[in-house]
Amino acid sequence: MAQNMLSRPAGKRGAIKESLGERIFTVCVYILFTLLGIATLFPFLNIIAKSLSSEAAVISGMVTLYPIDFQIGTYQWVLGNKQFLNSFKITVFITVVGTFCSLLMTVLSAYPLSKTYLSGRKSFLLIFIFTMLFNGGLIPTYLLMQKLGLVNTVWSLFVPGMISVFNMLIVKNYFEGLPDSLEESAKLDGASNVRILFSIMLPLSMPVMATIGLFYAVTLWNSYFNALVYVTDPALKPLQLYLKELIASTSEVMKLAGEIDINNDLNKAPEAVQAASIITATVPILCVYPFLQKHFVKGVLVGSVKG
Amino acid sequence: MDLASKTKPVPKKKPAQGRREKWGKFRKEWDLYLMLVPGLLFLLIFKYTPMYGLIIAFQDFSIFRGIGDSPWVGLKHFEKLLHNDQFYSVLTNTLAISVFKLVFLFPAPILIAVLLNEVRKMMFKRVVQSVIYLPHFISWVIVSGLFINLLSVNGGLVNALIVKLGGQPIAFFMDPGIFRSLLVTTEGWKEVGWGTIVYLAAISSIDPQLYEAAKMDGANKFQQIRYVTLPGMASTIVLMLILRLGNMLEAGTEQILVMYNPVVYNVADVIGTYVYRVGLGASDYSFSTAVGLFESVVAFILIISGNWLCRKYMGRSIW
Repeated sequence: MAQNMLSRPAGKRGAIKESLGERIFTVCVYILFTLLGIATLFPFLNIIAKSLSSEAAVISGMVTLYPIDFQIGTYQWVLGNKQFLNSFKITVFITVVGTFCSLLMTVLSAYPLSKTYLSGRKSFLLIFIFTMLFNGGLIPTYLLMQKLGLVNTVWSLFVPGMISVFNMLIVKNYFEGLPDSLEESAKLDGASNVRILFSIMLPLSMPVMATIGLFYAVTLWNSYFNALVYVTDPALKPLQLYLKELIASTSEVMKLAGEIDINNDLNKAPEAVQAASIITATVPILCVYPFLQKHFVKGVLVGSVKG
Repeated sequence: MDLASKTKPVPKKKPAQGRREKWGKFRKEWDLYLMLVPGLLFLLIFKYTPMYGLIIAFQDFSIFRGIGDSPWVGLKHFEKLLHNDQFYSVLTNTLAISVFKLVFLFPAPILIAVLLNEVRKMMFKRVVQSVIYLPHFISWVIVSGLFINLLSVNGGLVNALIVKLGGQPIAFFMDPGIFRSLLVTTEGWKEVGWGTIVYLAAISSIDPQLYEAAKMDGANKFQQIRYVTLPGMASTIVLMLILRLGNMLEAGTEQILVMYNPVVYNVADVIGTYVYRVGLGASDYSFSTAVGLFESVVAFILIISGNWLCRKYMGRSIW
């Protein structure tokens, strides 16, 4: 088929007059992307429908894209569940505080490193970049955290990942792109570097701050691994770890393995409760997503990846 | 390198600096160095101290004695590792899953980016992009929840369909023959869309005049893709491939840790999950650190040689 089309001479205005093969191709591309979009959204839509359906409907496997026997009892249960709410609070705390600390540390490191006249800049950069290439690994880090007394504290959930060197490099590249004349004139007026950074450079860097801030926030919101490793106290479990355990407890594997079903005391179908919990934990991400989308499309990130 | 392009208060051409001059400069810019302190302290404590901690791989580390007093055992743990069947099985799993993911998930974003570039309706394109980027921002816990929900034996839509068509329900998450495909599929669902972003940027940096010229020469859409778009993306593709190869031993620990279960350990246990279970579950600190060190060193060698190749043949460097 393809050869057939190749042999056709293209019209003078190729862009407008398409050959039959090209038109078929275009249609196929549109169909493909429509299907891809559906495949991406389907798991979300299915679980939303399930969270709003009755127990019987969920278990029968009848629920597809719309709720059957509509109910919102599962959400009432989830939002009234102490452990869920507590985990939600922990996650909000580490996301807000962690993002703030991360942004501050990232900016403070990125600004001096963006100054080509800083002597020793190359060596400092190497110190940062080396940590991207080589790391101590899980066990030595765990032992360090233990020694520092951070195990089973809320700090263990955001301090170990406070600076992402990758994000730092993005901010550094952005600073490098700002005009030097700003700095020069501010220095003539006697401003210190700290002052220049916080009163002149940062206000000009809002797009990259927003992008990086959202990235830190999403990472913190989504992380479960640190909690899995450093936290055993149920009062400190963030949302993702709570969900991980909830999902494990309702999946058939664990039932077979004879693990205790924490939802035994529930009158609801565990699957529907699980679905409602998943939706509730995902809604905040879906709320910030449009903002994320707006910023990363501007190419702030891509520029650095290519750099 | 940027010195020439930017005007600075400091002299453009740096003369060989005397010590006093350097000191003077340091005094002038001391607050810049001060800003670096928190970041450097953070790295020293949370990144470089654990690197020092790697020496417990050469000790019989006991938590009560600490690093200072634990007895040295040389390469004992590495010998144990080489004679450990479980380690080989874990290494095989890691490589198998990595290669499986590489083969299917590396070309996918390239293909999608090329096809997306052919979409002329901007509105449609934007909607598709928004939708396919979305799963990247969903945590692995949620993703595994979504798929367990979809594939579960009781109430999962897929199994309901299979039964309706007269088949036997399949426990996807517990079938060693299926589990690896499941890992690849879910990672594809989560990351392929996001992966296109780099390639779309590469395509957008191709000079539009090349397309005009190709059209003038009578090239149709397929020929334009073949002779303009793909060559324009080539360096980015190679770069991404090298980065990917550097990650060969990271087969997706966070993903597998939420999705696997004892039934599929023999096909899904990778280095990361093994270290986690042996190190923190069984508290075999020294041995698991040795396994971790093995992974770190191999990854380091892979990424350094990848970058070297990149610099040599493409004149580009990853950092």
